[in-house]
Amino acid sequence: MSILSKMLKNKQKKRQDDNYRQKQDPQKPEDSPILRDYQENISHLKEEVGNSSDVKVREFKIGAHKGALVYVDGLANMISVADYILETLMEAEVPDETIDIFQFMLDKTMALGSVETITNWNQVFDTVFSGDTVIFLQGYNKAISGETKGWEKRAVSEPSTQLSIRGPKDAFTETLRTNTALIRRRIKSPNLRVDAMKIGIVSQTDIAIMYIKGIANEKIVGEVKERLERINIDSIQGSGYIEQLIEDQSWTTFPTTYHSERPDVVTSHLLEGRVAIVVDGTPFTVTVPALFIQFFQAPDDYYSRFDISTGIRMLRILSFLIAVIGPSVYIAATTFHQEMIPTTMAIAIASQRENVPFPAFVEALIMEVTFEILREAGLRLPRAVGQAVSIVGALVIGQAAVQAGFVSPVMVIVVSITAIANFSTPVFAMAIAARLIRFVLMGLATMLGFYGIMLGLMFMTIHLCSLRSFGIPYMMPLAPFNIHNQQDAFVRFPFWAMKNRPMFISKGNMKRSGENQKPGPPKQTENPSQKGEEE
Amino acid sequence: MEKAKVSAFQMFVLIVLFEMGSAILLGLGSQAKQDAWIAILFGLGGGVIVFFIYYRLYMYYPDLPLTSYLQKIVGKWPGRFIGFLYIVYFMYQASRILRDFGELLATTIYNNTPLFVINTLMIVTIIYAMHKGFEVLARVGEIFFGIIYLTAILGMLLIVFSGLIHLENLKPILENGLKPVIKTFLRETITFPYGEMIVFTMVLPFFNDKKKVKIVCLGGMILAGINITITTIVNIAVLGVGLFHRATFPLLSTVGRIQIADFIERLDVLFMLYLIIAGFFKIAIYFYAAVAGAADIFQIKNQRKLGFPIGLIVLFGSITIASNIAEFIQEGSMIVPFYLSWPFQIIIPFILLIIAFLRNRKKKTSPA
Repeated sequence: MSILSKMLKNKQKKRQDDNYRQKQDPQKPEDSPILRDYQENISHLKEEVGNSSDVKVREFKIGAHKGALVYVDGLANMISVADYILETLMEAEVPDETIDIFQFMLDKTMALGSVETITNWNQVFDTVFSGDTVIFLQGYNKAISGETKGWEKRAVSEPSTQLSIRGPKDAFTETLRTNTALIRRRIKSPNLRVDAMKIGIVSQTDIAIMYIKGIANEKIVGEVKERLERINIDSIQGSGYIEQLIEDQSWTTFPTTYHSERPDVVTSHLLEGRVAIVVDGTPFTVTVPALFIQFFQAPDDYYSRFDISTGIRMLRILSFLIAVIGPSVYIAATTFHQEMIPTTMAIAIASQRENVPFPAFVEALIMEVTFEILREAGLRLPRAVGQAVSIVGALVIGQAAVQAGFVSPVMVIVVSITAIANFSTPVFAMAIAARLIRFVLMGLATMLGFYGIMLGLMFMTIHLCSLRSFGIPYMMPLAPFNIHNQQDAFVRFPFWAMKNRPMFISKGNMKRSGENQKPGPPKQTENPSQKGEEE
Repeated sequence: MEKAKVSAFQMFVLIVLFEMGSAILLGLGSQAKQDAWIAILFGLGGGVIVFFIYYRLYMYYPDLPLTSYLQKIVGKWPGRFIGFLYIVYFMYQASRILRDFGELLATTIYNNTPLFVINTLMIVTIIYAMHKGFEVLARVGEIFFGIIYLTAILGMLLIVFSGLIHLENLKPILENGLKPVIKTFLRETITFPYGEMIVFTMVLPFFNDKKKVKIVCLGGMILAGINITITTIVNIAVLGVGLFHRATFPLLSTVGRIQIADFIERLDVLFMLYLIIAGFFKIAIYFYAAVAGAADIFQIKNQRKLGFPIGLIVLFGSITIASNIAEFIQEGSMIVPFYLSWPFQIIIPFILLIIAFLRNRKKKTSPA
């Protein structure tokens, strides 16, 4: 008996699994057609949503015909519902009782941009919960849906995580449509494609895949779609979910997808042939494939002159290196390679360290961990208390710890430089990776000095070289080395010399700019009239 | 065999890194005294000729590694036996270089760290690289090639600006005639490092552009040869013949002499940076050849599985091949060239080439 019940249970469980495999919400009602009697429809709807208070039903009469419209309070724009559906309904004069009232309403009374006919319940729920209005009519086994979306949304505001000095000041919002519009406004080409998709069995989150046909590599676009379709999860709460589910490798600290809240960044990525994934409900848009060097390119690199932006880009890479190996080099130099430090400096460091009770590693670890705690606390605290943390942190780290003899002043300098260097990485996801690796290298430096650091970096390089983002090697313009892609990697060429799009990412249309784009003063020797004669 | 595609530039970089590898660290050709650099250039010439043996063999079997075409040339079982000997040779060489490298670190900077620990960490890194495949190794090579060149140029500038170069140390040229130079050439420089190109017969099938093999390999060998020659000349010019002849690691002594403005001094670390990178690639390529060969002969589909066992053999080999550094160097200069390098790098490939030539001629005359 028990075996039988177990088997039954297993079977049930399996069926549930099958449901998930087919990406259907097991709790969602079976799809069924709309009934002819509108009141039955209404009661069916109420039953399904369990009398939820935000689902509003309003009955009406048009001529001799009865009907009801359904919308969700808060998602639908009340003005649209009142002015463009109800008012026109009530003012409409039905010429003849025998005409097809359904068609008449579609044609004459719905003063809305988008009106559709729907026939089954799943469509009803989809449209109603997207903020549209559904109209049932007595005697018809179909319904009208009118677009009345209009919920409270945040206005387009300045970006809060990726700042730029000269760039545009708008940032994505939580609304998918606004985000796609922000991109569309910047690329007025019919080749910009926006493919829609819904992910999340329960949440049914809207997702848009954007790319430029002819520039983007079709293979990558296909791969992106395939990976997105494979996602089978109950809900998507942000683009971070998507990122982690479509990566090439999970076991890495380095980000292999790029995300940005700046439309100008996403636009330029699209123009390089990348694919953007816009997710409803989050201001961060994902772009793939992402390469290592991309995380050191800031939007301002393109708005300021090339020589300056090249220099600053080098500075960023240097500061990433400092952020990774800063404290470990200090540990290695003071514990293993004292002979490397010039004598006067060695004496200065030694005299400072004289009263410190800990070995360099412990000292560094205390400081680094304290700093990380402060940073994390500063992020999470309510804004009003944030000030207090920074004051306490500055006093504790900067002064009290040194005066108490816990740490040496040199250590404070090392930790602060490392921390500041870490902040100069333009993308947070990469900065976090540096934070994690730093601690590993500190341990290696303690045991084996520079040899340990070198081996650690070697390991890191092997790992980086083995990574791929949507099939593209992660260290792309450097390894495998590609001379044409150096135009916008470690250095940024001036725009007139940046002729090609990055290889492998974009296929086919590689030309970015025309010939002879180099600006210069007007040619003085050339006389316009002479030129005319020559022609 | 692993499926990998390596571009011409990547192969070039790997060859340069491999050839320069430990040859720059050790006092190459120091028996020839101040004429060491001539012996090295001779060695380069000899190495190029030897390379043509490998290249002809590659032309006969462009899609197969050494251990596979051995079986085609001399028959299945004899071929497997010789292939096995080659694997042992590659593993032995890998452990020798690992020992070299560990010994250098242990005697210069890490006096209190056991050799075993130093070698273990290195081999773990190499096993990791091997696990990721040959393509990744080639990409890592590209990154470190740039770093090595930048450090080399920086180091060279520092040596020049420190005013350490005394070119008169190179004179008199050919003091004792050509004899010691030729002796050094036959004993040392032809087989180390140029004859070591035999390892690349295991990875040449990965090349994605068959036409460029010759130019890439020769280019890599020549560039590496020039670099080694320049380094040797600088070493002699800085240290003088006596010290150059005696020092175990002349380059380390040279770098140690850099002193500018009482601030830039004791740059041993710069040297160590080079040492670790070069040692890594040299061991990794020998190691890879051993693993790929073993997978080929014993017909193991997933060669990654062999990384740990062969890595362990190389690691223990590196500790046990000699009981101390004197014995180790004695073996390296007296036994390895005659009993290992000459047979494996020159004699066997030459015999193979003759047999392959005869076999393929037969095929051509009587098409079956």
